[in-house]
Amino acid sequence: MVKLLKNLLKSPMFVIGVSIFLITLAIAFLGPVFYDVDTNARDIVAGPYAPSSAEHILGTDHLGRDYMSLLISGLRSSLYVGFVAGIIATTLGVFIGLFGGFRGGWVDEVLNMGTNLFIVIPSFVILVLISSAVKDGRSLTLIGLIIGLTTWSWSARAVRAQASSLRSRDHIALARINGASSFTIVIKHVLPYLLSYVFMVFIMQISSGILSEASISMIGLGPLDSTSLGIILNQAKDNGALSDGIWIAFLPATLIITLTVFALYLVNTSMEGVFNPRLRK
Amino acid sequence: MSENIFEVENLSLHYLGRFGDKTHAVTDVSFNMKQGEILGIAGESGCGKSTLVSGLMGMCIPPLYPTSGDVRVRGESLMNRTVEDIRSNVLAQKVSMIPQGAFNALNPVRKIKDIAADVIAAHQKPGSSMKASEIYERLRSRFDLFGMDTDRVLNSFPIQLTAGERQRSVIGISTLLNPQMVIADEPTSALDVSTQKEVIKMIFDLLDKGIFSTMIFITHELPLLYHVADNIAIMYAGEIVEKGTAEQVVKDPRHPYTKALMGAMLSSEKSQRTRKPVAIEGAPPSLAKKIVGCRFAERCSFARPECKKNTQNIRMVGDREVRCEYAQ
Ligand SMILES: Nc1ncnc2c1ncn2[C@@H]1O[C@H](COP(=O)(O)OP(=O)(O)OP(=O)(O)O)[C@@H](O)[C@H]1O
Ligand SMILES: [Mg+2]
Repeated sequence: MVKLLKNLLKSPMFVIGVSIFLITLAIAFLGPVFYDVDTNARDIVAGPYAPSSAEHILGTDHLGRDYMSLLISGLRSSLYVGFVAGIIATTLGVFIGLFGGFRGGWVDEVLNMGTNLFIVIPSFVILVLISSAVKDGRSLTLIGLIIGLTTWSWSARAVRAQASSLRSRDHIALARINGASSFTIVIKHVLPYLLSYVFMVFIMQISSGILSEASISMIGLGPLDSTSLGIILNQAKDNGALSDGIWIAFLPATLIITLTVFALYLVNTSMEGVFNPRLRK
Repeated sequence: MSENIFEVENLSLHYLGRFGDKTHAVTDVSFNMKQGEILGIAGESGCGKSTLVSGLMGMCIPPLYPTSGDVRVRGESLMNRTVEDIRSNVLAQKVSMIPQGAFNALNPVRKIKDIAADVIAAHQKPGSSMKASEIYERLRSRFDLFGMDTDRVLNSFPIQLTAGERQRSVIGISTLLNPQMVIADEPTSALDVSTQKEVIKMIFDLLDKGIFSTMIFITHELPLLYHVADNIAIMYAGEIVEKGTAEQVVKDPRHPYTKALMGAMLSSEKSQRTRKPVAIEGAPPSLAKKIVGCRFAERCSFARPECKKNTQNIRMVGDREVRCEYAQ
């Protein structure tokens, strides 16, 4: 475990990725401590598009809300959605993938069919349909939940492939013929091999959660109870910031989304490089 | 006559394919075993030996399903029981197995003592937890019988041991709970010759010490079986085609397949050394299709036209069983 971490820390990609991600986390969590952040995004503090000042570092948006405050609370929301979606999708995916891959037989067959169905149905379409159906109470948590419930299929597939290849390993056969229960086998002989995988899947699911939220909010179907990076972009779009060349309205938000997702991608890729030789063995 | 401790009655097993297709890997296998008997089962690759073993342990895990028949340990049937029931009440205690390729069968990330302790833990009655030190002592006293550096072996990860040590550890783990029946599925097939000998020696050592007494030994090395087994059953395409004493089957085979098999084997007997090994022409029939007539007819040099039509049943020839109506 320690050795693994050492190997990871030798990878510059990993270090850069983790650093960027930690910085975004720090901004999200510590931002409100150092800056006057209005998490409800309602306070109008100045005129529309006020220039940057000592009080409002990045100026204000079209309604006159502090832009820096919007970005920080947007980032908080985006990360929150990412984590909610990531936890749900990973848990579901790992559970379904493990159960099917390890059990085999018709259970696996049915679960695998369901998984493939979810892979071919474009999850974004489902996301749009559900979001537009839920008019009242479309909260941040609900959006995260919906994203999680529509994107678990990739993790399920990845975990299933691993679990079913492990299933026929000799050491699992030995545990089985000596009467170990399936639960014991999964906990002691299968999961340890999958942990790195599960972690990687989790990271991918967080980043896809953040992206999905941005997309769904961008087209106006985002959460109604809070702001998010996607909603900032949506409002910038609706108010013609792009054609008016008011870059401050969309560039920082776009940049933050890109950086966060990129950081997660770096972490994931570098982990794959370190873990894979072990998985291939 | 002493009582049978293991009875197999018309056991048939099949694999269920993805599209509902069935592979009848084991067909109509029957035999009984008495306390202390060693039964050898031989047959070429793919004839259903490992599948039979799963059935004999009551471990019909999808896609493997029992078609018909029964397996009984001291009168207790293993068929149509839940996996959980078999797991907690049969495996390792009543029937245990030394798997094929056993030296790979140890989880590389766990120490031998932990793997062995798992077996004890899996079969403990609820509420009666043993202390780690008690378990360790029990493991030690058992592994001491194996003539190994017990403490070192128990505290090692599999990768730190030699193939022979790993093999012995697996056997030690599989026989930890003194099972009434041990099934060894090609326990030596992946080992070099000297390790093979060591392992065989150890198995017989354990038999001598009474750690287990009744055993099914599966291999495709007939000469080995001849020295090891009391009785030998020859399998072909999922069926037992001949069963008799080791002497009968090896020295005086009656079924055409057994005869061909003995011919195909380079015999260590001086008198036969001049005979060249003859490979049996052709391949066994696919078990996924319905087979009409004798399964060996296609390859049998004594086959008559009727053989391809008439299904062969086991019959007694003298005091042995042969699945061929023309065998003398
Ligand atoms: N999971 C499975 N699904 C379908 N068919 C199977 C499966 N496992 C084995 N079979 C088929 O069942 C038959 C018997 O296989 P089995 O492994 O029992 O043979 P074996 O005698 O043990 O061979 P070997 O000497 O190579 O170990 C083979 O024809 C094989 O193709
Ligand atoms: Mg086999």
